[in-house]
Amino acid sequence: MTDFPIESEIAGTVWKIEAAVGDVLEEEDVIMILESMKMEIPVLAPEAGTLVAIHVAPEDTVREGQELVTMRPAT
Amino acid sequence: MSYDEQLRELDARRQAARKMGGAEKLAKRSEQGLLNARSRLDALLDKDSFREVGLLARSAVKADRDTTPADGKVSGFGRVDGRDVAVVSNDLTVKGASSSATNAKKIAYIKSSATKAGMPIVFLGESSGARIPDTMGAESMSQGGADPQQYCRRRETPWASAVLGPCFGSSTWYSCISDFLVMRKGGILAVSSARVTSLAIGEAVDAEELGGWRLHAETTGLIDAVAETDDEALGLIRRFLSYMPAHAGELPPVQADWTAPDAEALLDLVPDQRAKTYDIRKVIRAIVDEDSYFPLKDRFGKAVVTALARLEGRPVGFLATNPFIRGGAMDPDACRKATNFLVLCDSFHIPVILLVDTPGFLVGVQGERKGAPAHIMNMMHALQLVSVPKVSVILRKSYGQAFLNMGGGKNSDEIAAWTTADVSFMDPGIGVSVVHGLNRKDDPEAFDAACEEFRTGTSAYDMASVFGVQEVIDPRETRAFLTRSIATHTNRRTGGLGRRELANWPTYF
Repeated sequence: MTDFPIESEIAGTVWKIEAAVGDVLEEEDVIMILESMKMEIPVLAPEAGTLVAIHVAPEDTVREGQELVTMRPAT
Repeated sequence: MSYDEQLRELDARRQAARKMGGAEKLAKRSEQGLLNARSRLDALLDKDSFREVGLLARSAVKADRDTTPADGKVSGFGRVDGRDVAVVSNDLTVKGASSSATNAKKIAYIKSSATKAGMPIVFLGESSGARIPDTMGAESMSQGGADPQQYCRRRETPWASAVLGPCFGSSTWYSCISDFLVMRKGGILAVSSARVTSLAIGEAVDAEELGGWRLHAETTGLIDAVAETDDEALGLIRRFLSYMPAHAGELPPVQADWTAPDAEALLDLVPDQRAKTYDIRKVIRAIVDEDSYFPLKDRFGKAVVTALARLEGRPVGFLATNPFIRGGAMDPDACRKATNFLVLCDSFHIPVILLVDTPGFLVGVQGERKGAPAHIMNMMHALQLVSVPKVSVILRKSYGQAFLNMGGGKNSDEIAAWTTADVSFMDPGIGVSVVHGLNRKDDPEAFDAACEEFRTGTSAYDMASVFGVQEVIDPRETRAFLTRSIATHTNRRTGGLGRRELANWPTYF
């Protein structure tokens, strides 16, 4: 199975990162929380898998469609 | 010929037809864990309720007569939970369940009989498309369009479909014009097969990429549910039908037994701090009858949740923004999903409940490229045509045009606000930046002061004072409010039936 990116669905700022590289995640686990439209917007794992890379840091500004992390699907 | 001989012949013909594409092909399917066209009907329908029509139909092409039992599409009538349904089950082991002159007549018969008698239709899809060479040539093509209403839905009765294997041609079309579509993982839904598509465009095409479950659950939104097995998919069709009336001239069935959930949970599920998000699906479950929550298109347009459920045994439809996804800001896909759901509810007399917590519509270049304003208006247009009871509850935020799209103003028969409700044109912070050109980083004091000003006059009590909402409620009173309000606004003159102005709207937006 090939690794896949998770992109930001919204423009905003990275508030905090809740998961670490190597973490095994279930579908809908929270990976990080963005701040946008005065709200805390969680970024969720779209499916079960392992977090293999994080491309942003807290306080980074992110664009809609920007790659935030890379996941490897559970086999 | 004596009766004895005649009856032996009848028996022999029946038995031959029931063998479908032959023992070898059937054995191969069961090795792969797949049901066949007839065992699927056994799994879908109540025990021994299937009554087949067209068992002895076969290809109109002489050379194919002995190799086309039932002509590849098993059809008839049966019962689901004691209620009559009509069925078409595609038999891939017979010429790939390809469409032919005879089996087209079978489908047309099932459709007209079910529509006339008032019962739902279930299509179990697994077909390869038009039968070649039967359909080659002008003569055949001109006969194909003999029914000018073949793909025209007026939703006289509910239709449910399953994609249980490769679906091209006929199965794809009926899947797409159904009111509910479930797909088994491994099935493919596309215009043409990967092979035909590759030949036509001259490049390799991956079948999953062309029409796999993930594409349709997450990107196209064509399917309402995903199943791991044939059995699970058929179970979901039974479940969907349990919320539907048999036909559009009656109300959905009421279940006698139900259990109310624990309302106390609502206070923990929804944070009172405005910046915190939560999952609205848990909130709906804490309002409706236990085990009655049935989500549709759960992986598509996720900023809204659309779900069938029951209140005191009566089917209802929930259209709710989900703060868990982008704060509950609706994008074009969310609007398409909402429109689709309003059409379903209005067509089959299912009251609509709107749960509102949204900062507004998602703004951005991507949305505009998808025609966001028109999708917002499609949803609004649909909501205004809905003539079943519409009741909304504002949980927290309801801003801007989204306030109207989610039932604000006169767009609901009745509105209640939780004590946490906050209604305005836009978020105070954004409003301050737009009106005063202030930014919190540059001048926090002036920004906060201006914000405070914009934050006044937005509460549940402000709405109640001007009769903008009919009630302010304790969250734990939500279930009671909804049940009573729907009862109040049910049209007594028609026995609860709506005008069904959305019944002719498309099955996909």
